[in-house]
Amino acid sequence: MSHTTIPTIETQRLVLRGPQPEDYPNFKATFASYRSRFMGGPLNPYEAWMLYAAEIGHWDIRGFGMWMIHDKDSDDTYGMAGGWQPAGWPEREIAWIIWPDKAGKGYALEATHAVRAHYYANGWDGAVSYLDPMNLDSIRLAERLGATKDKTAQTIDGSDAVYRHPSPDALDGTQLAHGIEMEIGHYADPMFKPKGWALD
Amino acid sequence: MTVTFSAPELETERLILRAPDLSDFDAFAAFYASPRASFVGGPLSRELSWRSLALEAGHWVLRGFGRWTVIEKETKATVGIVGLWHPEGFPENELGWDLFDGATGKGYATEAGRAARDYAYGTLGWTTLTSLIAVGNDGSRRVAERLGASYDRDFTHERFGDMQVWRHPGPEACG
Repeated sequence: MSHTTIPTIETQRLVLRGPQPEDYPNFKATFASYRSRFMGGPLNPYEAWMLYAAEIGHWDIRGFGMWMIHDKDSDDTYGMAGGWQPAGWPEREIAWIIWPDKAGKGYALEATHAVRAHYYANGWDGAVSYLDPMNLDSIRLAERLGATKDKTAQTIDGSDAVYRHPSPDALDGTQLAHGIEMEIGHYADPMFKPKGWALD
Repeated sequence: MTVTFSAPELETERLILRAPDLSDFDAFAAFYASPRASFVGGPLSRELSWRSLALEAGHWVLRGFGRWTVIEKETKATVGIVGLWHPEGFPENELGWDLFDGATGKGYATEAGRAARDYAYGTLGWTTLTSLIAVGNDGSRRVAERLGASYDRDFTHERFGDMQVWRHPGPEACG
């Protein structure tokens, strides 16, 4: 064990910090809910606490992990996003979860775009997301992030689909990167009132 | 933001107790895959064992205490995981011990458990301490008896089922 520094990441509307003990209740509520069905849930309180401790310990063991997503102004938490690679994960994953009542505001897009940029700036040359084929919200988010389904990549256990994120070069000043930033900008714009169903 | 993952190192006659780290993973996964883990939520896949190792580290951050990896001084082998434990859903602070295959029968759980208990009473200033023993886990019950603990009450855990709470002697009796 060591002194692990978890960097803080700021975006237009969000600040991402390491998970803290006081952030646990919202995590627990989400993992007790049907929202967590594609992430091993719903969990009972014991299992949720153990998973939260594992989220924190992941930073110690791997040197990277999941951040807690906060509102920059109110400090409210909206979910988590970051890197994830427990044993059995063939590659490093970009992962996310948004609390059920915070969906539809583009927070997952804004946070995952930022954590991916952070890891790309710190040596990662790519990443994947392992998604349940029925998790349409997350598949849609992966596609909005420019990820595409990689049918040849090794899966975790055969029941998940691998979405491969664009490389650092493909996000460096490209039309794809501008498109993602434009979408985030729309969500951040108080005049932007999207119609249709909620997207993370 | 700096998150400190730190656990003090403890030393006994035959053992070193240190913070869990990735070098423990193979021994950890082997234990959790074995029938010996049936009383502590196992057997687990390698992936779930990895999460278990990660949560050992996270427990120190969330609670300020946790469990140590137990190293046999003579061989440098990882022989178990022992320490102070209080995940959500546990009734009180617990002293727990899991010895890995091949490390039983040497009194290591008692030796490491006593060091962890001394730390709880001496350094953390705790005034009482329990151990949760699954019904039927006779090996673990005997360790509790050797540590001077006695049966306190029954407890049903939402995951592990019927358990007994054993209470350790207090700081005065152990001092």
